[in-house]
Amino acid sequence: MSLPTFKLLRPRTVEEAVGMLHRYQDEIQICAGGTDLIPSMKQRLFSPKYLMDIRGIEGLERIRVTPGLGVELGALTTLTAVEDSGFIHKHYPVLHEAVKTVASPILRNMGTMGGNICLDTRCLWYNQSLQWRKSCGFCIKKDGDLCHVAPGGKKCWAAFSADTPAALLCLSAEVNIASPSGFRRVAIADLYTNDGVNRIKIAKNEMITSIYLPESSAGYSGAYKKLRIRGSIDYPLAGVAVALKRKGNIVEDAKVAITGVNPAPHLVPDALHALAGREVNEHSAMVVGELASRVAKPLTTSLLTPEYRREMVRVFTKRAVMAAAGAEFSI
Amino acid sequence: MKKELIELKVNGRRHEVAIEPSKLLLDTLREDLGLTGSKRGCDDSSCGACTIQVDGTPMLSCTMVAASYQCDNGAHEITTVEGVAEHGALAAIQKAYGDWGGSQCGFCTPGFMMTVRALLQRNPEPSDEDIRHSLSGNLCRCTGYTQMYQAIKAAILAEQKGMARGNERTEEE
Amino acid sequence: MSEPKKSEFSVIGKPVALVDSAGKSTGQGKYADDLSAPGMLIGKILHSHLPHALIKKIDASRALALEGVVTVVIGKDAPNTYGILPVGHDETALAVGKVRYVGDNVACVVAESESIAEAALELIDVEYEPLPAWFDPEDSMKSQSNFIHEQRPNNIEKDYHHVFGDPDAGFAVADVVLEGRYIANEVTHAAMEPHCTLAAFEFDSQTGREGRLTVQSSTQVPYYLQHKLSIVLDMPMSQIRVIKPLVGGGFGGKSEIIPLEIIAAVAARKAKAPVKITYTREEVFLAHRGRPRTIIDLKTGVKKDGSITAVAAKVIQDGGAYCSYGVVTILYSGALLGALYDIPNIKYDGFRVLTNKPACGAMRGHGTVNVRFAFESQLDELAGKINMDPVSIRRKNLLKPPCITVNGLRVQSYGLPECIDVVARESKWAERRTKLGKGRGLGMACSHYVSGAASSIIRSDMPHSTVNIKIDRDGGVIVYTGASDIGQGSDTMVAQIAAEVLGCKMNRIKVVAADTDLTPVDIGSYSSRVTFMNGNATMRAAEDIKKRIVAAAAKKLACAPEDVLMRDNIVYKRGVEPVESKSILQKVLGTSPSDKAPTVSGHVEGQILRGSVQQKRKDEGPKERMSFEEAVTSAMDNTGALSGTGSYAPPVEAKGGKHKGGGVGPSPAYSYSAQVADVSVDEETGEVTVHKIWAAHDCGRALNPVSVEGQVIGSVWMGLGQALQEEFVWKDGLLMNPTMLEYKSPSSTESPEIECFIVESIDPEGPFGAKEASEGSLAAAIPAVANAIYDAVGVRMRESPFTPERVLAAIRAKNGQKKIEMTNRVDPTAPHKLREHGGSLWFKGRGPQRHADDPSRKTTAEPVAGD
Repeated sequence: MSLPTFKLLRPRTVEEAVGMLHRYQDEIQICAGGTDLIPSMKQRLFSPKYLMDIRGIEGLERIRVTPGLGVELGALTTLTAVEDSGFIHKHYPVLHEAVKTVASPILRNMGTMGGNICLDTRCLWYNQSLQWRKSCGFCIKKDGDLCHVAPGGKKCWAAFSADTPAALLCLSAEVNIASPSGFRRVAIADLYTNDGVNRIKIAKNEMITSIYLPESSAGYSGAYKKLRIRGSIDYPLAGVAVALKRKGNIVEDAKVAITGVNPAPHLVPDALHALAGREVNEHSAMVVGELASRVAKPLTTSLLTPEYRREMVRVFTKRAVMAAAGAEFSI
Repeated sequence: MKKELIELKVNGRRHEVAIEPSKLLLDTLREDLGLTGSKRGCDDSSCGACTIQVDGTPMLSCTMVAASYQCDNGAHEITTVEGVAEHGALAAIQKAYGDWGGSQCGFCTPGFMMTVRALLQRNPEPSDEDIRHSLSGNLCRCTGYTQMYQAIKAAILAEQKGMARGNERTEEE
Repeated sequence: MSEPKKSEFSVIGKPVALVDSAGKSTGQGKYADDLSAPGMLIGKILHSHLPHALIKKIDASRALALEGVVTVVIGKDAPNTYGILPVGHDETALAVGKVRYVGDNVACVVAESESIAEAALELIDVEYEPLPAWFDPEDSMKSQSNFIHEQRPNNIEKDYHHVFGDPDAGFAVADVVLEGRYIANEVTHAAMEPHCTLAAFEFDSQTGREGRLTVQSSTQVPYYLQHKLSIVLDMPMSQIRVIKPLVGGGFGGKSEIIPLEIIAAVAARKAKAPVKITYTREEVFLAHRGRPRTIIDLKTGVKKDGSITAVAAKVIQDGGAYCSYGVVTILYSGALLGALYDIPNIKYDGFRVLTNKPACGAMRGHGTVNVRFAFESQLDELAGKINMDPVSIRRKNLLKPPCITVNGLRVQSYGLPECIDVVARESKWAERRTKLGKGRGLGMACSHYVSGAASSIIRSDMPHSTVNIKIDRDGGVIVYTGASDIGQGSDTMVAQIAAEVLGCKMNRIKVVAADTDLTPVDIGSYSSRVTFMNGNATMRAAEDIKKRIVAAAAKKLACAPEDVLMRDNIVYKRGVEPVESKSILQKVLGTSPSDKAPTVSGHVEGQILRGSVQQKRKDEGPKERMSFEEAVTSAMDNTGALSGTGSYAPPVEAKGGKHKGGGVGPSPAYSYSAQVADVSVDEETGEVTVHKIWAAHDCGRALNPVSVEGQVIGSVWMGLGQALQEEFVWKDGLLMNPTMLEYKSPSSTESPEIECFIVESIDPEGPFGAKEASEGSLAAAIPAVANAIYDAVGVRMRESPFTPERVLAAIRAKNGQKKIEMTNRVDPTAPHKLREHGGSLWFKGRGPQRHADDPSRKTTAEPVAGD
């Protein structure tokens, strides 16, 4: 399969890039690692007139630690670089755990943090070739007006399928977004829409330039559990991230987030309530699992059934909570 | 779309090619430079048969726009499987893949060569788990991977013994 | 031939690198898509988006108007029908009048580049009249109208009903009889290389018109391709040359004529230029020809002592829209109920059914795999019922070869008992089985396979393989074989056998293979026939040429020809020690050749022997030994280049019974496999982890142990894929996962250790005793895992693959836990129907224009799941 024709743009600065975005709005796509966008372009899910390769922009690929503030990950930092960062491993273990499950080692060499955050939502009825989509009459996410997983529905339920945002939610991360009028900072928790089509609140003339991990989130123990068929390559069919802050064995703060089962990653409300002020045990972990599975709304967007995926959100959450508390659940 | 002239540095040599801006690096290597060693096995960046190295890092050439990887102040040094053999002889890993059954049909082999080479450049003494993990982005449909592990270990041993030509199984006339 | 001791071999039985391995690891080796031709154009195929429809009109004018488009080919450009078997010729290059599955081939654009061709596909206007479509084989069999092929009423491609012995009496004397339905879902080859064909015509110098056609294609069967091209293009076979370059895996997916191979040739003729077509990965999935979804209703009876009294199987295969190898597949499913165990009474009812989906065909373990899953699972269950160990019940039912089974299969070499012993011992079956903790278990299963079919599918008495060998004055041995190396290593096998027989080193052998202009007919690489048949032909060709060398050498050595021996490049008199060639060279040259450059030393030797040394040797008197080159040179003193030829046709005794369909199943020899799987089952997630497989395989003799191990491990591994994670997921005729991302071919992370044990039963008719090694081990892997899951958690999985949701559903049901609908209303321990993907689709008046009676539009939308 070839790519649709486009003109390649290679800005050297953020200002230049944002200018291009502003100029071409609907006709431009940002390409960082390309691991999601390029195959989607082959399938004609995107046929932009301009492809803007931002990898040439200086300074967006570094991990910078500022004592007292936290860590800034440039949007172009590769997933491998995050995985290999001893600092991240030590201070933000939930992110380390999540990032090392993304796709495969080669794809992590290419894929970036910014790209993972901006990943398109996925559905078995959408991530297919043009020829295939013709056979199903297209769908509301692209070229059609049907939804095959929620008949009669007007909302797109394609699943948000990136791993790292679940971890970032647990770490109260923020993203820095550049626009023609300057920069703005947005909490990851406020970034997504839970709509499969317009999945993310970033305007057409904006781009993410970096991700902040606050110092207050450093030192949380963490775990990430991912449901997939293969041990590599696959997108998550469900993902659960857990970050815990404990004094002794007593939980002081807890964050639980799920991904892969809704059009956005979600924090599990009340997780803290279920865990705070006591030791983690199997019972409390199970309670959190139950809470998480209530947040999950998987539909038939993947090969595994929604019922199974939701059930696994429950089980994986329980296990992730136990693992984050250092009590790795053994089967 | 009109073609544009770009310069790529592949296996230590510079090449000027006129290509469409939307042309994939894999297609450019195969069609414009005649380097057909890198293979296309899928269309969705999942099989690894097209793996090359850019500045030593394994990447999927089917997922890269060629014009984005023009040689640039020493950056973007591309290595393909055609650039693996050393000093007119097979590299240890190439020899070992033959001796130990690491290749059967061989279609995935170029991708594995690039992945394993990068692994051993980074980590000359990988553990079994390191090896298994690092191969996990390349799919093989023939071997079940088992004999690849044997080949990789044999290659490591051969390198350690300083025997660039691989193991002792070489036929003598 | 008499049975030589292993130590008597110098090449056979030694691990050697595949002769083409360096080309594979350097990128120098050329696969079809690596080839190009001057002026070459690119073809892209337009596929049907409807499962069943009449084509009313194809208008390609907009496509033809696009700059860079050369031509558009449609069905009527080459309407002749063909098929791989002598029956069921139901395919055309491109659809004529009707499409029969989503993905059927409608038109082919030929253009200057891939991107132009792809753009042009969108500009072809096709007007369809939708027909009701058939997706479920059991529904399809009941059809009264709208048949997929008019000549196949009720959409039944073929049905067979076999009775051997007296099954009713057999069941009557059984102490325990079990019946059960098993479903094996559809899997595909997913060879790493997508299919590719390059077709080019050349001009005829005499007529000045279009002349010979050369097709280079990713095929396992170049001679069949030559034949079918001849039928479709109305050209004599002599005007068609098919060349097989390196092939990136086949597993059966390239063992028949795949549409692009014919279309490329038709397109090249119409475009008047070379045309290359390479499938996208999605097209590979749609071309398919994989293992069909199979419903197996199985009934087995045993006595209390474990002996099997009777087996009855009803098998329905969801064959897809064309016949393909279907008739053979459904016959193998029944025939290979025999030849593994001693079963006195067999009843078999097989139905190959047409449905509006891509055609199924031959895949590794052709026809035998799914039935073996059912049989070995049920045998395990029966063992439980009579309190017998699963290993013991298998030992109880062994054949006593040489014998002929009740369904007419001749069994000679039979290494199954040793295979069972080896894996039971190595896995510590008896000691460990009861001591594994909760959620962990061991399972055992056996399987077998043919070493080629005794009767070929071309209905002819010609040999199945012929091999020519040429030796010229350079002392190089060129073997011309039609065998198609698809990665399994047949070129290497041929080189080894030739080298062993001729007593020369491997690097003296050059194999020229699979080129219909150069190499004699070999019917192809399928049904594991190549080592047995082409190996035997190679052996005979080498013996033929060896006779002449020996005759000439006998004169020089002053001995009888039967006292001339050849080994390791030395020709010597019986009783004389053969010494290494380097010692001879040392004597002759007074120097020692460099050890570090073996290939160079051969070259040096050749140069010298053709010159002064050869002269010098001629003056010497009778001698005790000489070099291979000297012997060869003297043999051709008066004749010029030597040539030898050898053929193989299976013996009449191996051809089986006379019943209808009795030609499928019989083989000159069968391979045997026994396996033990060690698995853990996570009872909370249903995830199955395979820790290890012990696999013993009786391959007769391992000509190249590293290759045999690779084939056995690869087979077991592919079986594990089918057991645990691979399946085609369907929704109303639409393949939901036509990508490498969603078709879950295992990655290294979840691929377990597979330990291979080679068992050598030395077949009396195989080349050096060798039999099949590449397919027979696949089938046992699936039931071994199923049985291990039962041992681990007590659930009997009767539907493959054993995905986590299926296993969890089964565990939940067993434990009486909260029932969750995880399997779309199909109970994996008692499956009754084929499962479809849960997405809803095509409600009235929207979506693609499907027929009102299409199943997809009749059912009401399924409830929204997940809430």
